[in-house]
Amino acid sequence: MKYMIMMFGDQGTMMETQTPEWIKDMIEFMQKLDGELKEAGELVDGQGLADPTQAKTVRISNNVPVATDGPFAEAKESLAGYWIVDVSEERAIEIASRVVEFIQAPIEVRQVMDAPPDI
Amino acid sequence: MSTGSRIEDLQRALAPQVLATLVRRHGQFDDCEDAVQEALLESTVKWAEEGIPANPRSWLTTVSYRRLVDQWRSESARRRREETDVIQRSAGGRASDRDDTLALLFMCCHPSLSVPSQLALTLRAVGGLTTSEIAHGFLVPETTMAQRISRAKQRIKNAGVRFDLPPEPERSARLRVVLHVLYLVFNEGYAASSGLELHRTDLTAEAIRLTRMLHRLIPHDGETAGLLALMLLTDARRAARTNSDGLLVPLDEQQRTLWNQDEIAEGVALLTRTLGSVPLGPYQLQAAIAAVHDEAANAEETDWPQILALYDVLERVSPGPVVTLNRAVAVAMVHGPRAGLALLGTLETDDRMANNHRLEAVRAHLLELAGEVVGARDSYRRAARMTASIPEQRYLALRAARLG
Repeated sequence: MKYMIMMFGDQGTMMETQTPEWIKDMIEFMQKLDGELKEAGELVDGQGLADPTQAKTVRISNNVPVATDGPFAEAKESLAGYWIVDVSEERAIEIASRVVEFIQAPIEVRQVMDAPPDI
Repeated sequence: MSTGSRIEDLQRALAPQVLATLVRRHGQFDDCEDAVQEALLESTVKWAEEGIPANPRSWLTTVSYRRLVDQWRSESARRRREETDVIQRSAGGRASDRDDTLALLFMCCHPSLSVPSQLALTLRAVGGLTTSEIAHGFLVPETTMAQRISRAKQRIKNAGVRFDLPPEPERSARLRVVLHVLYLVFNEGYAASSGLELHRTDLTAEAIRLTRMLHRLIPHDGETAGLLALMLLTDARRAARTNSDGLLVPLDEQQRTLWNQDEIAEGVALLTRTLGSVPLGPYQLQAAIAAVHDEAANAEETDWPQILALYDVLERVSPGPVVTLNRAVAVAMVHGPRAGLALLGTLETDDRMANNHRLEAVRAHLLELAGEVVGARDSYRRAARMTASIPEQRYLALRAARLG
């Protein structure tokens, strides 16, 4: 089963409110986790997203798609990064729990849709 | 050297020559390219088992030709061939390997291709890398890269691009595109524009190999020599550019004993040969600036007035906001941070620099030098939000956090 483990908020705000020591620990934690997931053959993909202030939103305006800067609204609702792991639900929650313990912010675990089972 | 790496070196060196021979004889760049890739794969297995044949080049040419014939046996493929055969074949005549490899490079860097396609096709057809290796280098799925390469080949076919050296009036403009493609391959490996890892050394090594090959083919072209020197003088600092935690280390804090002296010597020698003998181009000037940095025993001994003089020339030869940005650092080092900040101010209204994290990062650095702690911290933070590179974001966030 594949699961997407999603972090929200923006790293910018997170890093602005933390000490250099915490930032260093966070970097080490993330590198270690990525390494472990790769090593274990569990990691499918993992990416961090650039800050939401750099994003564009495309929406229909007068019947044509128009791109504008942002969203700047609630940054904590913005996707900040994700891992896709090929594991059991139990293990996905275990991985997410480790991250939550460190960043002290909620994380969403969603199953990736799949082909129907053979039998 | 192990047999495996000897085989690989040989394959990579012969790949463009064998491909060019086939294209010259039979036309059909796309089919020939597939055939050569198959022959390369076969040779990996065969040569490892039975040893490298006495004439590896003719071995590869023969096997590639057989694979090509296999493809043509399919009826629909033959029909396709008959329709387009005349278009792609070159004007004929026996060309040298030198011209062949150059023609191949020009073809892969044809202006009708998108930049990502130019990069991918150059690495496969000239570099002899497999689709999977290229996909890995650019961090995209293999199927995506396979599709990108096959689309690029289709486009070359549809555009009726001839397998020949471009005529003289176009040639220097076309060479600039080739150099730019090689420069981008290097940068992709060195700066890793996105993702977690800072270096993808496979790509930097390949860019250096291909540029060195091009330099051998056209040794009197100053900009090709300049680009090779620039790559070597930049790559020389790779080991010092990150610390053991994987964090970025700025130039002035790098441990210079880790710099690769062989690469520095080669880069400097290249520059010495070409500087003064040919009109100066932007790659030579950037390489000359890199050489001044590399030749300083420590950060304090850096010859900033010399660097500033080189940036002044660079700004005349190839003006642009990125050059101004770098010159501002040199101005700050020679005339003080205030003077550098004043020059940065002229970039405020430049649309090309809007939302550019480097402008903000340089400003932060100069404000820090000027002792403006609060302003510097805010600029580092803004730059950290703007960059799309994780290692850079971490570096900038740490710089900000250090200022409290």
